[in-house]
Formats: sequence, structure tokens, C-alpha cells
Amino acid sequence: MAIAIGVDVGSLCTKTVILDGGNNVLAYDIMRSGHYYKGAAEESIDNVLKTAGLRKEDIGYILGTGYGRGAVSSADGQVTEITCHARGATRLFPGVHTVIDIGGQDSKVIGIGDNARVTNFVMNDKCAAGTGRFLEVMALALSVDIGEMGDLFFASDKKVEVSSMCTVFAESEVISLFAQGHKKADIAAGIADSIARRIVGMVGQVGLKEEVIMSGGVAKNAGVAHAIGERIGAKLLIADEPQIVGALGAAIIASERI
Amino acid sequence: MDVKYKVNRLQTTNEIRPLVDKHWADLRTAKERGEKVAWASGPTFIFAYAMGMKCHFMAGYSAYCGGIGAGEEVLKVAEMTGDLPETCSYHRLHMGMGEAVARGIDINPQAILPMPDLMVAGRLCPEMSHYAEGLNRRFGIRILPIDLPSVYDLKDQPRLREFVYRQFKEVVIPTVEDVCGKPFDYDRMSEILTVLKEVATLRNQCWEFFKTKPACWTLWDYGVSIAPVFYLMGNPAGVAYYKRLLKELQERKEKGIPAIAPDGEKYRLYWDGWLPWAFLGKFMRKFTPNGAVCLCGRYPWEFFPHPELIDPEHPVETWADLYYGEGRLTYNFSPHGTVDLISELIEDYSIDGLVMFSSKTCRIMNLSQPEVIDVLDKKYGIPGVIVEGDMIDPAMISDAQIETRLEALYEMIDSRRR
Repeated sequence: MAIAIGVDVGSLCTKTVILDGGNNVLAYDIMRSGHYYKGAAEESIDNVLKTAGLRKEDIGYILGTGYGRGAVSSADGQVTEITCHARGATRLFPGVHTVIDIGGQDSKVIGIGDNARVTNFVMNDKCAAGTGRFLEVMALALSVDIGEMGDLFFASDKKVEVSSMCTVFAESEVISLFAQGHKKADIAAGIADSIARRIVGMVGQVGLKEEVIMSGGVAKNAGVAHAIGERIGAKLLIADEPQIVGALGAAIIASERI
Repeated sequence: MDVKYKVNRLQTTNEIRPLVDKHWADLRTAKERGEKVAWASGPTFIFAYAMGMKCHFMAGYSAYCGGIGAGEEVLKVAEMTGDLPETCSYHRLHMGMGEAVARGIDINPQAILPMPDLMVAGRLCPEMSHYAEGLNRRFGIRILPIDLPSVYDLKDQPRLREFVYRQFKEVVIPTVEDVCGKPFDYDRMSEILTVLKEVATLRNQCWEFFKTKPACWTLWDYGVSIAPVFYLMGNPAGVAYYKRLLKELQERKEKGIPAIAPDGEKYRLYWDGWLPWAFLGKFMRKFTPNGAVCLCGRYPWEFFPHPELIDPEHPVETWADLYYGEGRLTYNFSPHGTVDLISELIEDYSIDGLVMFSSKTCRIMNLSQPEVIDVLDKKYGIPGVIVEGDMIDPAMISDAQIETRLEALYEMIDSRRR
């Protein structure tokens, strides 16, 4: 049985997708990467095999991607998350030309041309501004669960401006805004907009071409997704499970190598 | 089965280190011999050399510190003594070294230079002004400021050439005469240019071996061989070095030995921006296993790519002409000049992809890089990536970020080949 597995080892989460010979998704898994990336990758592979009722012997090819792609010890090959996100995105939405991916410590915008080919891309560099980690720190500063952040955005009636792009400075700014008496929801809306402002610059560098997909864990934050959509003036397509787009792309490439 | 690529190391490049070490050793001991010392920024140090001053150039010292592994400790001294970590790492390196000596802070003794009698401050960017200002304010160094304006339009070039030439004649030469207490030595400047012309001509013959497929050597080999057309200018040892290098490259071609074993490169790359002096090995280890090789670049091509234009009989005039005349060395950094130069390099060296090295502490070449990628992608259909880092400062370098960008570049090249 020619099954293909894609493993996307990110800084915060490891995502794995398993495809059958007809490129149908049999199972997927998302788990925290922790500090032992090799272990997380293998555990995630075991999880999808178990869910799909398959054995290791059934695997035709495993492809690693993400920052920890080198840690997938059972991988037969590696491809960057740039290429994998492009492949995953076009599988989910064939008309997509721009990917906005915001993960744990990484945000990137990828331009896609014909045949799911990457035309260009930009990534954040050594700065957590506009990433999932930024949101986590802001949620702590707001004393809310990160899952509530998106809903808070829609409860705002007067968004305040969070101007700092630096995670640490933005945290201080949030504390200062609290001290000034601003409402939690208005600050949350300001935080979402600060991420959107960061992303809109990256989209500008790549060149906006619709359709646009948003992927990564931050796509689950409806407030941030809404703010980005407003800022770039385009509707964002979001998959049912936006965190597995890179792993899906990796699995598709793996299936082509069997 | 995956190909295991590795570098075929050149023998001749081993010979550069003794030449470089001697240059810096002579500089370190110059004051003991009663010799005058200059520091320089911009393409101006030739005037100090002509007067027999021992001299070092801003980027040359940085390359040297990178080579001896002293960059990080000297930068740390700069930070301890008040320099902001985001400012030009070349500037910080010099301030750190000066402050280490002034305050008795222990650093690698090979990195210590005598403070200069004159700073020949050619100003190509604002940071170069700050560098000179820092030397004057902190150490009382005499500054010789020279403005070297950018050329955005070739029609402005004659006027700017006159402006720069007059500075050479009316400011630079009288000042070095004053510092050295003797008339300017035009004959020595002519001798230096004669040697430079010969070295650069040989170097250009070596560049031809970047054009071969597979290439016989790499841009990094040229990076370590750059001193004879740079701060070893005028030293006849540079002629001998490049003659041996040329011979080795010719032999390589005859024997079919590529720069990258076993059968040559898979990706032929252009490198934009400064060379990452302290991280040449780090980058090489990210290129070679993927069969990638850098073959040309904007900065390495600023060292007199047209030696035929050097006229030793008119030394000051030719120096102005190289930068503001037919040599176009300044215009090549303008928006149009950059695209023209890189286009030429893409065609001459059959380039597959662009690596735009974007220094976090020197933005002089970075600002146009996204546009340049876009323009050249449309023109030639080749992809490019921006790789952020620094020439010297390890705090500005991230392995995982660099790897992802470079590997994505290889993947983009592959996808366009299919």
C-alpha cells in the first residue's frame, strides 16, 4: 500500500498528515513539539498510523518539513515549508495565489504562480512580531485564554492602537493601555490589528494576488484573520484545519516520490 | 541516490594568509618604526599608500577580524563602551578596538592596530561619517572628510567626477602632504596603479573560470583572494599570487576538476551585498552540500573590473575616472546601475538564482533588493531570496533562517527547471 506521510515540525507544534494511494487524507495529527523534536515527530507519525489503522511497513515515503525538518529521523527526504505550504494550499484551494502563514514563531507570505509553483516569498526574521508566540504573550498580558482572543476582537467597539512591533515592548504597551483604562476587548482588537499591519507589509512585498489563503495556528484566531482581511482588502480562505497545510503539502510531495 | 557534493579546495588560496598576516603585522608595528598610520573608508586609501603611510581600510580590517575570529569580542567592547548594537558593525568594530586599547580591555592582540595619524574619511554612507566622527570625538583623530556622492544618472557623472577630482587635488593631497611633511608622491601612486592594473588584469582572467560549466572556483575563493586588489594594492606579491592562481585554474580546466566535486555545481548563484567575512565557512557549508555555488556578486565586482581603464601615467585623474567616469564604480550602486550590472553578471556567468544578502547593520545595498529580485525575475525568469545577516556580528545571524531561505531558493530553481 503506497501511503505517503508529511511531517511539519514547527517551533510550537508538530503536524502530520497521511495520504493513501489516491491522495486522500486518511488521518492527521497536531501535537506540541516540546523540546525534543525528534521524539515529537516520531510520536506524531505513530499517532496518524494508529488513527488510520496502518503499520510502519505500509509507509511508502515520509517527507519532513518545517524548521525541525532535520529532526524527522525516519524521513526519506526534506523540503522547506515554503514549497510545502504552496502545495498544500493549492490542493485545498486550487485558485490560490497567495499564502499567508502565521505559525508559532514564524510568519510568511508566499506568492504562487502556475502549477503550484512558488514565485516569491518573504518571512519574518529573528523577530516574533506578528506570530503565534506574539499572540500568546499578548493573551498572558490580557489575562485571557488564547482561544478567547479572537472572540474578544469582535466585542470591541473602539479599537486602540498597539504601535510596537516588538513582542516585549508591545507587552509593556498593553499593560500601559490597561493602566489608561482601556477595555480588554479594545486592546485585543488593537493587538490583532498590529499583527495585520505587520502582515500587510509582507503581502505588499510579495504582491497580492487573489485568491488568498491563511494558514497556521493563528488562522484559528478569527479576530486576527478578520483584521488581516480588512487590511489587505481581500477575503481570506481558511481551511477547516489551517495548521496542517504545510504537512499536507509535504505528504503530497511524498506521494509523488513513491 | 543523493549526490554527495564537496569542495575541491584550491592550493593557491592557502598562500594568501601569509601575505595578509604580514600586512597587518607591519601595520601593528608601524609606529615603532616611526611610520605614519592612516585609517580609511571609501576608495581613498591609495592616497595614504602613495605617501608611504601604513594604512588600513574599514572593510579590510573587518574581513581580517572575521578571519582571525576576533570580531565578536571586539564588538562586545564597543557595546560595553556605548555603541548601539544595531549600528554598522564595521563602525562598532573600530570603536571597540580603540576603546579596548584606551581602557585596557583584553582583546585578541592580533586585532589591535595603532591609532591613526589621519582618518581618510571617504563618505559613501552616513555611517562612514559617524565612524569618522567617533574617531575624532572619542580619540581626537584628525579627519580628512571626502564626499563621494552617488551617481543616479550617467548624465550627472561628469559634474560629480569634477567635484570628486577637485577634492582629491585640493583637499586630500594637501592634507596628506601636511600630515607626512613632504610633497605628494605622484610617482608612487603611479607605481601602485601599475601593479593594480596587472593584478586586476590577471584577476579578470581568473574570473573567466567562473564562466565555465562546471565552474573551476567559487566566489568564496575569490573572497579570500581579494586583498591584492584591495588593501594589498601596489604589492607585487599580488601579481605573483594571481599568476599562480590563474595557472592552477587553467590546470583545473584542462584536467576537468570542478570547484564542487564530484561533477560540478547544480545551482549557479549570484551573491548580492557585502561578503559575510566572519561567516564565509558557515555559508559555504550551506551551499556546498546542495551543489550550490556563488560565482559573482555586486560587491566583489567593485574592485576594478575594468583594469584596461587604469592609466598609471595620470594617477589622480584615473582614480576619479574609475569611480566617476568610464569605470562606473559608483553608478553600479545606483538603482539603474545595479540592475544593469547584475543583468550583465547573470548573462556572463549563466546564473540560476539570486542570493540577496541583506546586512542588518548596513543598509546601503539592501534597500532596493526586493525590487531588484522582481525586476530580474521578470527579465530572466530566475528566482531570488533575501537572506538577512551581517558581515561580522554573530548576533545578527540565524542558521535556521538562512537554511530555510536558501533551500527554498533551490526548490524554486528546481520547480522552474521542470
